[in-house]
Amino acid sequence: MTAHALAARSLTRRFGDNTAVDDVSFHVEFGEVVGLLGANGAGKTTIIRMLAGLLEPTAGDARLLGDPPNRATQSRLGYVPQGLGLYGDLTAVENLAFSAGAYGVEPTALTGSLAASSHRLVANLPLGLQRRLAFVSAVQHDPEVLILDEPTSGVGALGAARLWDQIRVEAERGAGVLVSTHSMQEARQCDRLLLMSAGRLVGWGTEADIVAGETTVEVDAGAWEEAFNAVAASGALVTLDGRSTRVIDRSVEEVEALLAREGIDAEVRTVPATIDERMAVLARSAPE
Amino acid sequence: MRAMILKEFRELRRDRRTMAMIIVFPLLLLIIFGYAATFDVEDVPTAALGPQAQLVADQAVGLFDVITIDTDGTADTARTLLRDGDVQVAIATDTQPPTAFVDGSNLFAAQAAVGALGRLGDQITVDVLFNPDLITSWVLVPPLIGYIMMFIGTVVAAIGLVKERENGTLEQLAVMPLSPSSVIMGKITPYFIVAAIDMVVVTLLGMLLFGVPFVGSVAVFAVGVAIFLFVLLGVGVLISTVSQNTGQAIQLAIFFLVPQILLAGMIFPLSSIPWAIRWISYLFPLTYYTTISKGIMLRGAGLDSLWPQYVVLAAMAAFVFTAAVLRFRRDLVPRRHRKPDAAADGAPA
Repeated sequence: MTAHALAARSLTRRFGDNTAVDDVSFHVEFGEVVGLLGANGAGKTTIIRMLAGLLEPTAGDARLLGDPPNRATQSRLGYVPQGLGLYGDLTAVENLAFSAGAYGVEPTALTGSLAASSHRLVANLPLGLQRRLAFVSAVQHDPEVLILDEPTSGVGALGAARLWDQIRVEAERGAGVLVSTHSMQEARQCDRLLLMSAGRLVGWGTEADIVAGETTVEVDAGAWEEAFNAVAASGALVTLDGRSTRVIDRSVEEVEALLAREGIDAEVRTVPATIDERMAVLARSAPE
Repeated sequence: MRAMILKEFRELRRDRRTMAMIIVFPLLLLIIFGYAATFDVEDVPTAALGPQAQLVADQAVGLFDVITIDTDGTADTARTLLRDGDVQVAIATDTQPPTAFVDGSNLFAAQAAVGALGRLGDQITVDVLFNPDLITSWVLVPPLIGYIMMFIGTVVAAIGLVKERENGTLEQLAVMPLSPSSVIMGKITPYFIVAAIDMVVVTLLGMLLFGVPFVGSVAVFAVGVAIFLFVLLGVGVLISTVSQNTGQAIQLAIFFLVPQILLAGMIFPLSSIPWAIRWISYLFPLTYYTTISKGIMLRGAGLDSLWPQYVVLAAMAAFVFTAAVLRFRRDLVPRRHRKPDAAADGAPA
């Protein structure tokens, strides 16, 4: 049986009384991009650190290329931590040279705006360039597994798009990629998603799988602000999409009754739920 | 301002290391230094040599503690015993009048001995070796070079690795195919080379400015310095493995460095420090470096007499590096080493 690129089985990590990751199981295949999705504190980084071999699980197994993470499997891993792991007092090329030397490969030639900044100290580079450099550094040795912890955090839309292009290139090369993010937009770039909430895996699959058959109530009202405030005041999960109020966790009948009580005239209908809305529902239903 | 003061007190209350430094450290230093800081020399290890050796031993009182009696010994034997640091005074009776050779590299013991011997008038000739004019800087500069290097080496190495932790690059190192010992050796090798060059410069400057002689073997000294530097850098690395930030690393380095000023035999002779405190001296690398540097630079002592100091320093180097690597391994390889069982099937695909 071919090993998975990454696998977690009943992975659990406790810090004192706090269970950061609770009985999480999943795997990542070679050539696919799996998004680890969740709000801050959902347990994404803790899972990543256990899979990379940086943190010991309290219970369960973390597997990297079929084995518990060790120096041999780590040498086939590309890892970009949230903090980037770059040396601010070295230039871009010096950082690449160090990383390449550690893996015993030739440093990658920088291209584009990174090439123009190749001899600048990393501490003086904009965050977007730093993130791109961290990515280039992590893939210099053609890793079979790539783990990226919030790789586009703090990066502009264009920079994020470029980075996602590069992530795709790595997946097409055959690398299994695990990307943590709290951006639903970025989640759409992934082949599969793992939805985390309060340390638990609350949903998984493709975006279509996750939202399949799920609906949201959409409210269009002339007095849209009043409609929104009235529904929000009822404690429902509610968002505003333009001037439409979207109610995530109530039925059409409940919303209609609520608006009628408030004397607000509105058109209320059921529409397909988005991944963001599904995530909100799953997160709310997760045990504390 | 009140809010600031309260905030500082609250932080201080939770910062155990700083609290220890503020409250416990001064008390410890006062007690240790109070007992250690004494210029009084009560015993001077002495050899009695030549045909009248036994007579000298019988008549020696007070300061002179005769630990060697050799009736066949000569003035040459006396010089050898002093050079090797076996005794601090050697009285040779094969000359007329007898000659008391005094080791000038042990300043306070030498001053006390010369004073006591001077009271004997013409009955004895006094010959101070290695530092005839009992110049303080000759005795102080060789170990001081070591102390300066210790300060720089330990602090620099301690900060170097902690910086990796603070900058988040330690995590990246941990996933790279580098062993903990490779990381540590890779970190300290540049420091070692720079510190070694620094050591040569400081030693030459010490000789140039203060006229300190260098009568022993440069090669033997270089080996001792190399081992000493390894201990210092190893201690620095060990400190960094138990520190979360630069501040903690510097605090621990101060705990390690400050007591050695007075306890390593650099200023006060070890023989004057009570055993209740003196045992601490033997835990410090500077104690052994002090013996080595004074022995080689001033007395021309060789490995035949200094090997115990080399062995202890080498053992210290081995110990601190092993401890640092083991401690560092916990940071780099935190996983349980369990045999994997079945593959992670049944996971959501």
